[in-house]
Amino acid sequence: MSSATINGRSELLPSDPEVLLVDVLRNTLRLTGTKLVCGAGVCGACTVLLDGVPVVSCLMPAAAAAGKSITTVEGIGAAALHPVQKAFMALDALQCGFCTPGFIVEATAFHDRWRAEHGAVAPPRDVIGEAMSGHLCRCSAYDNIFRAVGEACAGRYDGTATASPRVEAREKVTGAALYTVDIKHPHQLEGMIVRSRLAHARITSLDLAPALAMPGVGAAISLLADDDNHVRFVGQPIAAIAAIDHKTAAAAAAAVLIKYEPLPAVIGADAARSDAAPLVYSGKAKPANSAEGPLLPSRWKHNVRGPNVAFSTKRKKARKWIEQARAARNPWLFEGTFRTAAQQHTSLEPHAAVASFDGDQLTVHVSTQAVFELRKKIATRFEIDAKNVRVIADHVGGGFGSKGVLGPETAVAIQLAKAAKVPVRVAFSRHEELSVAGYRPAAEVRIGILPGPDGSLKALSLRAHADAGVAVNSTIAGLARLIYPADAKELIDYDVVSHLPPGAPFRGPGGPPMAFALEQAIDEAALRMAIDPLQLRKRWDTNANRRRLYDWAASLESWRAKVEPSTQTGRYRRGVGVAAGYWLYLWQIGSKVELSVQGGKLVASTAVQDIGTGIRSVIADTVAREFDLESHEIDVRIGDSRLPEGPGSGGSRTTASVVPPLLLAIGKLKASLAKSSGGRITPGSNAPWRELLAASPDVTVSAERPEDDASRAGGQRPLLRDGGIVGTVFAWMMRRFSHMAAGAGAPSSVQVVEVEVDTLLGHVRVLRVHTGIAVGKIASPVLARGQAAGSVIQGLGYALYEAREVDARTGDILTAGLEDYRIPGIADTPPIDIHFDEGGFDHVLGGSVGIGEVATVPTAAALANAVRNAIGIRPTEIPLRPDRMLALLRGEVHS
Amino acid sequence: MTYPLPADAAEYRASGTDLSERRRSGVSTGPLVDIAPTAEMLTIGWSEAGAASIGASVTIAQVAADARITSAYPGIAAAAFGLATPQIRHVATLGGNLAQRSRCWYFRNPHIACLKKGGSDCPAREGNHLYSVAFDLGPCVAPHPSTMAAALLAYEAAVATSLRQNLDMIQVLGDGSSASDHQLANGELITAIQLPAPLRGERASYKRAISRTHAEWPLVELVVRIVVVDQQVQFVRIVAGGIAPVPIRLPAVEAALAGQALSPASISAAAKAAVSGAKPLRLTGYKLHLLAGLVEDMLSAHAA
Repeated sequence: MSSATINGRSELLPSDPEVLLVDVLRNTLRLTGTKLVCGAGVCGACTVLLDGVPVVSCLMPAAAAAGKSITTVEGIGAAALHPVQKAFMALDALQCGFCTPGFIVEATAFHDRWRAEHGAVAPPRDVIGEAMSGHLCRCSAYDNIFRAVGEACAGRYDGTATASPRVEAREKVTGAALYTVDIKHPHQLEGMIVRSRLAHARITSLDLAPALAMPGVGAAISLLADDDNHVRFVGQPIAAIAAIDHKTAAAAAAAVLIKYEPLPAVIGADAARSDAAPLVYSGKAKPANSAEGPLLPSRWKHNVRGPNVAFSTKRKKARKWIEQARAARNPWLFEGTFRTAAQQHTSLEPHAAVASFDGDQLTVHVSTQAVFELRKKIATRFEIDAKNVRVIADHVGGGFGSKGVLGPETAVAIQLAKAAKVPVRVAFSRHEELSVAGYRPAAEVRIGILPGPDGSLKALSLRAHADAGVAVNSTIAGLARLIYPADAKELIDYDVVSHLPPGAPFRGPGGPPMAFALEQAIDEAALRMAIDPLQLRKRWDTNANRRRLYDWAASLESWRAKVEPSTQTGRYRRGVGVAAGYWLYLWQIGSKVELSVQGGKLVASTAVQDIGTGIRSVIADTVAREFDLESHEIDVRIGDSRLPEGPGSGGSRTTASVVPPLLLAIGKLKASLAKSSGGRITPGSNAPWRELLAASPDVTVSAERPEDDASRAGGQRPLLRDGGIVGTVFAWMMRRFSHMAAGAGAPSSVQVVEVEVDTLLGHVRVLRVHTGIAVGKIASPVLARGQAAGSVIQGLGYALYEAREVDARTGDILTAGLEDYRIPGIADTPPIDIHFDEGGFDHVLGGSVGIGEVATVPTAAALANAVRNAIGIRPTEIPLRPDRMLALLRGEVHS
Repeated sequence: MTYPLPADAAEYRASGTDLSERRRSGVSTGPLVDIAPTAEMLTIGWSEAGAASIGASVTIAQVAADARITSAYPGIAAAAFGLATPQIRHVATLGGNLAQRSRCWYFRNPHIACLKKGGSDCPAREGNHLYSVAFDLGPCVAPHPSTMAAALLAYEAAVATSLRQNLDMIQVLGDGSSASDHQLANGELITAIQLPAPLRGERASYKRAISRTHAEWPLVELVVRIVVVDQQVQFVRIVAGGIAPVPIRLPAVEAALAGQALSPASISAAAKAAVSGAKPLRLTGYKLHLLAGLVEDMLSAHAA
């Protein structure tokens, strides 16, 4: 047996040639800082140093390490933090933290080499981009990673300071942070889901016996519904296995005997819209809900659900006016069809759950966006008393909307743990993550926009067809109701079902495809009316938050310097585009925070979870600010359903749900401290809180999220009130069934994107992005900037690179690995200027609402407008890969 | 219901950067043979005439960083630097790069049968072949994945194996008319790559067209070697990858340039000639525009 030196210790290596280094590190040595993400050497999350050189441990045979020295992330900060670690912490070069160990390992090696060769100077941006090109970060913390690597190389983090605006940063840069996939209980088995190979079939028989008979298999269960033995997409769960390890589980899964009666399938919305297409749903079978909102009743025609017209206003008039304008060849009328691709969430931590029973008590570690709500759902689904269910998520490696439900990973882990009577982990493979774990539905939006003779917005028509596989309930066109008031709006949403996996909510569901059509149509209207696009938006958009942002955008040098496309003829052409977006301001009713003094230390608790968005730090910062303490001195307890009820991390609602009750609790605690000080101080004063806390007996206060103070809303109304009766009904249903309140005011973003188009090779380079954001006061500025920049980069990925590709005959997802599903890398990241306009939300206690969603809504549209400005041709379909750009340019290039 | 490679096909493992992914997915299930490199296989040797012999187990990073290779064979060094990611280049070997298997998303899916796995047809041909060939030369439409093969073809490298000497790239990879990724016999191991001495005054470059900035399989890649004497193209060699089942020389481009000055007119003619003989699929016509664009881009750079 051979051995290797791992983090300075001699360790034996397994003799099995199939074992890879990542498995030895994670499973045998429990060095779980090294993450397994893509398994293909693309994302770099598993990077370790082999004799000082970064390599991917997911592809390296363990035997290849024989006689060599391996350093994992745990070995890098073991004695003292490396300057790169301190820089990542100080400059917040991370969000969810799942990619961070890989980046740290690579960046430390780069840093040491760079400084040995060049001394303490910052490397050029493109050198850092090339050096880090073997790493992917889906939160897209790239902007700060550039800064952190650069400043560490420049020697600015050689000192001993280890401060960070993110309270858990140290755990994340040292690999100590434990995620769900890292949990390992004694006797824990590995669960695996056996999935359909066919897009449409009836399962005529399922025999688990051969799997159960295999040594090392602890359980094998059927996942077929009692009343529906149909499978409707490749990858639909059929059965599940729990076994001693991944290899045994895979062998057992392959041994399960499934008999299919193949049925005709239809793949993709275009094919499914034909009346001749096979019917996806008949009888009692019900489609999945791909949205966060409630599923309202709707009509069906074959595979098409809709028209859902409720957000329209004077719908028939809008249609009539547009038809008349078309007949009259009204030069200001613009009509077009825009297409957006399905976008995969690509959380680097896959969907994962570890279920463990202790008598009646069920504990589930889940990579989830909603620990508290999930507890209730599990209790209901499995008929367990909720007080016997505990859901834990200390750290979550990204979610982006895909981890808000009780998903199969969790349900199956619980079922298997019950059957096997030992703890079971289910963690999706990257193939599962990129095929059956949800995506932003693809969409086709037909739009018509008609300015009136006086230059007002007379009529708007959007007809959207969403392609969410077997799921329904997309609202795309309907979102155009709440921006740009018009005399009449025809807003029609359709869902087209086909035999593909279900879509899921993704950062601002429906927003980016809506904006991609609407904001380009506004741009076209401006061109036709010969008016500056920002001026036109200011004329048509009544929202005060965005009107302030339009003024900011108009003042940008790059906007003022933009030129007309006709003046450009060379190979490289530059363009500038603008787009606006909004999102709802949501908060969760019933959110509570508990604040206590325990042994002189402040402890803040609520059952929220930090999926990288920084709520842990927002809580710490808010408490620290009020008590004149440092954020790291506050003990923040989240990620556990036993804590007081907290909100889900979806709908950009955590800050707006948690900060108001936290401020109330702070007020109560201050009053209590003031009282025990014997009346020497008053709660509002600059009291010596540190001393008072140190002297305080243990005390606990709590508060619940109050309603907003409508008198301070400055006339703003809840946005959904502008949505007519359906808006009111929708708001009521969200309150009633999802405990979500839609408050007054519109979180808004206006973005200006500068691009350079290489007309020869069809490449679009983003030179710079300016994002103006109005979400009220910024609770934690450094983290807010990181989140805003990350949202922009995800939007650029949507606009330029990301598309799920399928096989139209079999329904297989072809982009099921990170080589083929292309998310932005660090070198694709332009400089991003972030402008926060901090007004507009004074009615919210604390003055802050969420950023994550609104900040990605306008990005793709602004980029498309920039491309139009560069080349004089309107892009109508994203992503704008080289093949699409060349197709757009073709006539021009060869003329 | 899986479709792995035929189980009797033993596979050599160099650093595993391709094979480990296929073992994990179940596409490769046959016997594994770890390569035990000899000293020669780990070194770059030079003849008195200035010709290099690169051991098959030399890493891509070594090739990219070797000062003498960079100077004598800049197209090879640039191709090595342009492929994969830094971590992959640190361990991936030259031999492994040549013998790696296709990156086709059908081939890599263990549940889908294809010609390379003993199936009866190519699912990409009638299916989703967005990244497939635009020179449709054989039954399989996947482009060859080896960037180094394109560079070595441009340099007329000779390959030595455990069984044979002096193989040219066509003998190693085939001419694209079969569905195999290479023509090596079962058990035959690449041991060294021998390069002819560089030409006097030769310049070379490598570039790939991709959608992002780094770390992406090429849509099209191009290696250019050129000798210009007295403003006239005395020698030119153009090889394209990512666009055919094997890397291909573009003789029509070479012919269009031979004896010409590198001018906008000759470059334009060369770019037009690049697509001569092309047979694009339904979705891959764009690759021909990229190919012509790369020819124009890179020759213009050499003219500058």
